[in-house]
Amino acid sequence: MYQYSEFDRTFVNQRVAHYRDQTARYLDGKLSDDEFLQLRLRNGLYIQRLAPMLRVAVPYGTLSSKQLHALAAISRDYDRGYGHLSTRQNMQFNWPAVADVPDILQALADVDMHAIQTSGSCIRNVTTDQFAGAAADESIDPRPFCELLRQWSTSHPEFEWLPRKFKIAVTGAKADRAAVGVHDIGMRIYGTAANPASAEIDIYAGGGLGRTPVLGALIRERLPVQHLLTYTEAIMRVYNRYGRRDNKYKARIKILVRALGADGFKAQVDAEWAHIKDSASKVPPEELQRLSQFFQPPLFVEQPDNAAALADLRFANPNFNRWLTHNISAHQAPGYAVVTLSTKSPGVPPGDVSAEQIDAVARWAAQFSYSEIRISHEQNFVLPHVPVSGLFELWQQACAMGLGSHNIGLLSDIICCPGGDYCSLANAKSLPVAEAIQRRFDDYDFQFDLGEIDLNISGCMNACGHHHVGHIGILGVDKKGQEFYQISLGGHAGHSGDAPQLGQIVGPSVARAEVCDVIDKILQVYLHNRFADESFLNCFSRIGMAPFKESIYAAAA
Amino acid sequence: MPQLLRKTEGQWAISEEPKSLWQSEAEWQSGQALLVAVDSEPSVEWLAASSISVDFPALTDGRGLSLAVLLRTRLNYRGDLVATGNVHEDIAHFLARCGYNVIELPEHKDLNTALQWIAPHTGFYQASVDSPAPVFSRTSG
Repeated sequence: MYQYSEFDRTFVNQRVAHYRDQTARYLDGKLSDDEFLQLRLRNGLYIQRLAPMLRVAVPYGTLSSKQLHALAAISRDYDRGYGHLSTRQNMQFNWPAVADVPDILQALADVDMHAIQTSGSCIRNVTTDQFAGAAADESIDPRPFCELLRQWSTSHPEFEWLPRKFKIAVTGAKADRAAVGVHDIGMRIYGTAANPASAEIDIYAGGGLGRTPVLGALIRERLPVQHLLTYTEAIMRVYNRYGRRDNKYKARIKILVRALGADGFKAQVDAEWAHIKDSASKVPPEELQRLSQFFQPPLFVEQPDNAAALADLRFANPNFNRWLTHNISAHQAPGYAVVTLSTKSPGVPPGDVSAEQIDAVARWAAQFSYSEIRISHEQNFVLPHVPVSGLFELWQQACAMGLGSHNIGLLSDIICCPGGDYCSLANAKSLPVAEAIQRRFDDYDFQFDLGEIDLNISGCMNACGHHHVGHIGILGVDKKGQEFYQISLGGHAGHSGDAPQLGQIVGPSVARAEVCDVIDKILQVYLHNRFADESFLNCFSRIGMAPFKESIYAAAA
Repeated sequence: MPQLLRKTEGQWAISEEPKSLWQSEAEWQSGQALLVAVDSEPSVEWLAASSISVDFPALTDGRGLSLAVLLRTRLNYRGDLVATGNVHEDIAHFLARCGYNVIELPEHKDLNTALQWIAPHTGFYQASVDSPAPVFSRTSG
């Protein structure tokens, strides 16, 4: 993991001091609500429907046991004893007091964390593959490059006041678990860990979800990595100067890329880049080597062959067997596994975790996973380096703490934004919809039979729940003050290694009470039409929308 | 008397000086003080201005930051660069880093607060007009 230098520590502490003074001036009436709004957003503080919400940055989703314990303590000391894992790999607290936030930020700074640029129209926390540095299909660990971007974008004086929020995602693996196609900038890195300075990057620009979902355009192929910052600077400068500022809904970079055309946008970026490509921001090879040193894999020890013992345990414990089937991913090192701990169980909002659970995950990481934890954009915890010999014990402990659901990738592993229960932007509630679906389709055998299905729910078109890239997507809409839900099918974020795809809307939206029945009809159409092992996505692309539409709207027609 | 901070020989201080007579781009002639909008395209002709002032429409409008960077690094403009309009005391440090050497605040604003937070950090991650060396040139070198 990256270790803060004294420079990093000083920087974050100075940021806390500045924000403490801003808060004091606001509470003293010297800053207006509107002025303070802009300042607090850039320190992660929203005012939500019921209370403020503080979003803590978890850079590229990686954190240590010590940091996770600190988050548990913050949830106890300043909140209501729980936190929420967001779809951008961060942790959110839903009930802090405005006056306490400087102290919370100091508590974060004390463990080398912050909430800088987790909201507002600026460059947000860089996200990546939650299995980075562990996944078997990875060519190069993206995190050193993410850290380079994190440092460069932190309080960048020129790009702190963009037309709109700006999200960068990076991957170094074959399967795109970072969803680079639906980010303002997506980066796909090619190279080897041994020589990070010779890595090359494909740059995508102008992707995004929200009101106008669009896939990013490939604007630069195989960019040598020393140009990573200068090329990003060129993109940011073109966007900062020419992105629309007159209409919030047309201010994302995707609108500019569309207005200029991908080629026109690329031409502007390249013209700008020509001036700065050899500036001081060109990254020297030594810096890439230095950053890569922080992300060296742990010293894995050779593991005994416990295949026989594991087989016995699987046979004797059906749920353990299921957990191994769904929650374990292949690791680079023999004898190790990547474990995803699911936060998804009926009755608990997806991504919500209690202080006790947070502490438990931090302890398990220390015991089983070299004190390292990841947060996935699917709102689950990941322990990246678990020896196979420890899986059974970890599973037992996870079950005892309510984190043992064996449902990763299945229907009940729902991605869901906080929706109208918390968020002041939402048009409709999302959490009760998630819960109703989880309860209705609780039967494991049914879910297992369905196979891999991503069901994503957003409470409004800002699309925090990534509904456009759900195999089944659900979007809350407001119809004359009533909550309705628009269903889409066939989207995916590129997880399988294919290019990502946006879902297609099935038809008119439906009332909340009907959502579960509609989902059931969709699933039945799939089960009825699929070939032997055909996945939901493959079946949908073969048979198309018509049979689904017919089944859902037949009675009304 | 306008309310402003001025940087002289590397030091920021509150300054009392008469307001310049700014000319808009359409009216401006060589040798006069020039007032430009944040969405202006910088031109080499501007180098003949006695000073250049950029009018910020809102504290959230970052175009004037890129404009300053272009003026300082692309056109190598060395004269007074003034941030005016809707300029905020907590944004002043970004303005300074992008190359403004004069920051004019609206009348109701407290210059002392602006001066107190003109440099909240003692070091920076990235290169900018006022600190051309990024952090890695100091750690990797």
